[in-house]
Amino acid sequence: MNNKISNENRQSPLHTFLSLILPGLGQMLAKQWQRGLTILIGVGLMGSLSIWTIGQRARYPNFALSFKIFAISVLEMGALLIFLMSLNYLLNKYIIKDKTAQAFSGYGVGLLYFILIFLLSGPVLELAGTVAELKTVYLTTTIFSAGALAAFWIWQAFDAGKIGALKAGEAMPSLGFAVLVLCLLIFSLGYQITEIDLNKAISEYTDTQIILTRLTWPWRSAFAFEQDVLEVAQKIQAPCPAGSVGPDANLPMDGETWISLDNTCGELTTRDLQGKVTFGTEITIFGGGFTPGQKVEIWWRNPIGNPFKPRGVGETDIIMDERGEFETKLYIPEMTVIATAVGDQIHTILVREKSEERFTGALSDEMKLALKGMLETIMLGLMATFFGIILAFPLSFLAARNLMASIVQTLAKMVGGVIGLVVGVGLTGVTMTQIIKLFGGLDKAPIPILMIAILLLFGISWLFMSLGGRLFEYLSKLLGKNGDTILSVIGMTLIGVAPGYLLGLGFSRGIRGIPLKAELAAETEMTFAIGGAILFGILGFYYALRQGGSRNINVGMIAYTTTRTIMNIIRSIEPLIWGLVAVIWIGPGPFAGFIALTLHTVAALGKLYSESIESIDPGPIEALQATGANRLQTIVFAVVPQILPPFISFTIYRWDINVRMSTVIGLVGGGGIGFILIQWIRLFQYDNAGLAVWLIAITVATLDYISSNIRKRFV
Amino acid sequence: MLIIENLTMIYPDGTVALRDVSFEVADGEFLGIIGLSGSGKSTLLRCINRLIEPTEGKIIWNGKDITKLNQQDLLATRREIGMIFQHFNLVKRSSVLTNVLSGRLGYTPSSWSLINRFSRADIERAHKALERMGIPEKASNRADELSGGQQQRVGIARALMQEPKIILADEPVASLDPVLAHSILGSLEKLNQEDGITVMCSLHFLDLVQRYSTRVIGLRDGRVVFQGTKDDVKKITDERFKEIYGEDAKRLGGE
Ligand SMILES: Nc1ncnc2c1ncn2[C@@H]1O[C@H](COP(=O)(O)OP(=O)(O)O)[C@@H](O)[C@H]1O
Ligand SMILES: [Mg+2]
Repeated sequence: MNNKISNENRQSPLHTFLSLILPGLGQMLAKQWQRGLTILIGVGLMGSLSIWTIGQRARYPNFALSFKIFAISVLEMGALLIFLMSLNYLLNKYIIKDKTAQAFSGYGVGLLYFILIFLLSGPVLELAGTVAELKTVYLTTTIFSAGALAAFWIWQAFDAGKIGALKAGEAMPSLGFAVLVLCLLIFSLGYQITEIDLNKAISEYTDTQIILTRLTWPWRSAFAFEQDVLEVAQKIQAPCPAGSVGPDANLPMDGETWISLDNTCGELTTRDLQGKVTFGTEITIFGGGFTPGQKVEIWWRNPIGNPFKPRGVGETDIIMDERGEFETKLYIPEMTVIATAVGDQIHTILVREKSEERFTGALSDEMKLALKGMLETIMLGLMATFFGIILAFPLSFLAARNLMASIVQTLAKMVGGVIGLVVGVGLTGVTMTQIIKLFGGLDKAPIPILMIAILLLFGISWLFMSLGGRLFEYLSKLLGKNGDTILSVIGMTLIGVAPGYLLGLGFSRGIRGIPLKAELAAETEMTFAIGGAILFGILGFYYALRQGGSRNINVGMIAYTTTRTIMNIIRSIEPLIWGLVAVIWIGPGPFAGFIALTLHTVAALGKLYSESIESIDPGPIEALQATGANRLQTIVFAVVPQILPPFISFTIYRWDINVRMSTVIGLVGGGGIGFILIQWIRLFQYDNAGLAVWLIAITVATLDYISSNIRKRFV
Repeated sequence: MLIIENLTMIYPDGTVALRDVSFEVADGEFLGIIGLSGSGKSTLLRCINRLIEPTEGKIIWNGKDITKLNQQDLLATRREIGMIFQHFNLVKRSSVLTNVLSGRLGYTPSSWSLINRFSRADIERAHKALERMGIPEKASNRADELSGGQQQRVGIARALMQEPKIILADEPVASLDPVLAHSILGSLEKLNQEDGITVMCSLHFLDLVQRYSTRVIGLRDGRVVFQGTKDDVKKITDERFKEIYGEDAKRLGGE
């Protein structure tokens, strides 16, 4: 212990100095190659990452400038740290003797450190000749990254000194401080790279407030309001070729609403490529017969018939005078003139007077849409769960180690089974093509054909698999003592050839094809395919010969591993990403979302289910096996009753997740409320978006409550 | 007639649980199996109905070698071999009746049992078995609502459904108190004497072995280290038994 303390203070100046110049050099000199290299690479990495981050944060990716800022920061911080450390050392040595006070002086010096950084930041920035906007970046970088790197630099110099002065048999100095500093550095880089900016969170809040209110309390837009619109029109021609006079101007009408123009033929406002606006003809719009004091809106309908509110060419919201009349000036607005347009271009000026909105209690179209989306979403979650259960249930038995581990088969019988399976699948293929022909094409009756295909696939494959197994069993008895092995060797060679051929082909196309030209790779691909076939054939041959045909193969574990692997892969990909894939596959809509969610559900439930199967009491299984019950009966009577409660619980839990997931699966086009929500957000219709968010929140909370209540009864 | 010849069992992890075990069990015997924990009693019993695949040796049951049977014949043979367990191995959430009926699965077509159907005769038989074990009124209770002794009775009733010629009992009373132990073993003895069912029963307590067995074999380290007839058992004093046990214990400790 004493030894350790004295060793902490001993320094070898040469090593310290070397490491101060180049991090890690001192350590390397002391033959601590790994430590030295790690330090050097660490400093290099952290430094370059910091410099890159500065450039990114400043939106000013200028390497030289970033480097300059960071280098100056590190130097400054280093000098500061050394100054403060000396200060603390001197304080503790000569002035503060009390132990507690010594600890506090450390904090005091730390505080001083931060104050000095702020004080020094201005002058140094000027020194660096940086732009003003780099100031905040500079400060965060200095405090965190540069400070940490400087501290690390100094630490490793002292570390080198300590190692250099180490006597034989003494322990290496601890890395605790370095780890702490590195954590700080990584934290600071992470902070900057993720652009965490509390300032912004506060300063930009006020702008959000209006939108936020619309989002948080959108209920007015849930209802439909009635409104009468009075609309009167006046035609106008633009552009106005020489000799044109334009349509007739309306005449004032007593007792009726009317508008008119001083001039019904003029030029459009235009904008050149630099964005400079040249106003067109100024027209005077006037009219009467409106409600006195009421606001009216001026609209423009272009020759194609699209109405719009003219912008930047004059006032379009007009208040009527006490006689219900008005007069206002407007430039003919700017619009794209269709190049192919021929003849006179006649526009229409519309003046609309809207009555007050009347509350009727009816739901608005948006609300109806949102409700429909919500229903779609709930059903989506429900269906995905339903199909998930149906598929996950049988799979979970395959993925349960305790059930599968005991299934063994002799190699010969397994080989027979595999060959039978391949034949069965092939036969299914042949049969299906015939059946599809019979139907007159796949698209004539896709669902029945699919059903038949699934039934045939399972039926025929299963039949041929067991037939193959039996056949090989029988044959091997006929062949006598080595029959098993003879059959296995033949079978395994065949089994090796097919995947070998495919792998060889795949290698040629997929891997050789990357650097090579496609045609070049294609020319020689058969060599690779046949090579692969031969290689794998030999491997199969060798394997069967070595193992011997009567060797027991754990078929159950093969099925277990395969199922688990596939499920793990599917599960590790988020439903949102499956959603994207499904949208590419079948186009946007709830069906795509259904596919994505179902896939994920099968994998997730399969795992949960199989884990609950693995945790059951094995006693009853053993007991039922002992009675002479077969595997299926054992599962129905000993396994199913035990797993039912957890299955129900997990299923409800998953349904809960699925409804929540289906609200967002729409964001990638998977249908349901999410699909509607993202469109409203993109159209800046925040009230409607707020409606959708509210509906989602209400639904999810309700389902949460219900499902946790149901679950409680089973757990 | 059960003949065990040179039975060896090596677990996949290399543990040798049985070494070259040979002995015979005549029809109608009540064979007690004694041995310290870990001596291979459970392994031996489970090899007989091939819940565990023995590594080597023969198990000849009424003339056929059980170790050579294919899956189908094995299932048929298992029906003749009832088994009861230390922890009863009932399906706790199922009813007592269902538990008893599941002993009949070996005789039931697969498709029937898939939808949980049993013939009227089987249900009748199950009620009779429960009556015989003295708990007819518990048929509709959930299995885990019963006491330990009652659960073991359900276990025996389940075995009876198989109409077994032999019952393998793996420490059937080890988790019961002495009074219940006597009543359970009494039931087994009754089945042994009245129905002529052969019983192979591993037991922990010497007094139980002396009271119920007609013949005893002792296992140590997977080897048969003692064989005695009913008369030998009666003659053997506590001291002699303790000698066998004690010697084992000492040797185990000394090795
Ligand atoms: N599944 C197993 N895998 C490996 N070793 C086992 C297994 N089951 C039992 N054994 C070992 O086999 C030996 C005999 O065990 P067991 O037959 O349970 O003895 P007993 O029933 O007499 O207590 C013990 O050493 C035990 O550790
Ligand atoms: Mg045991």
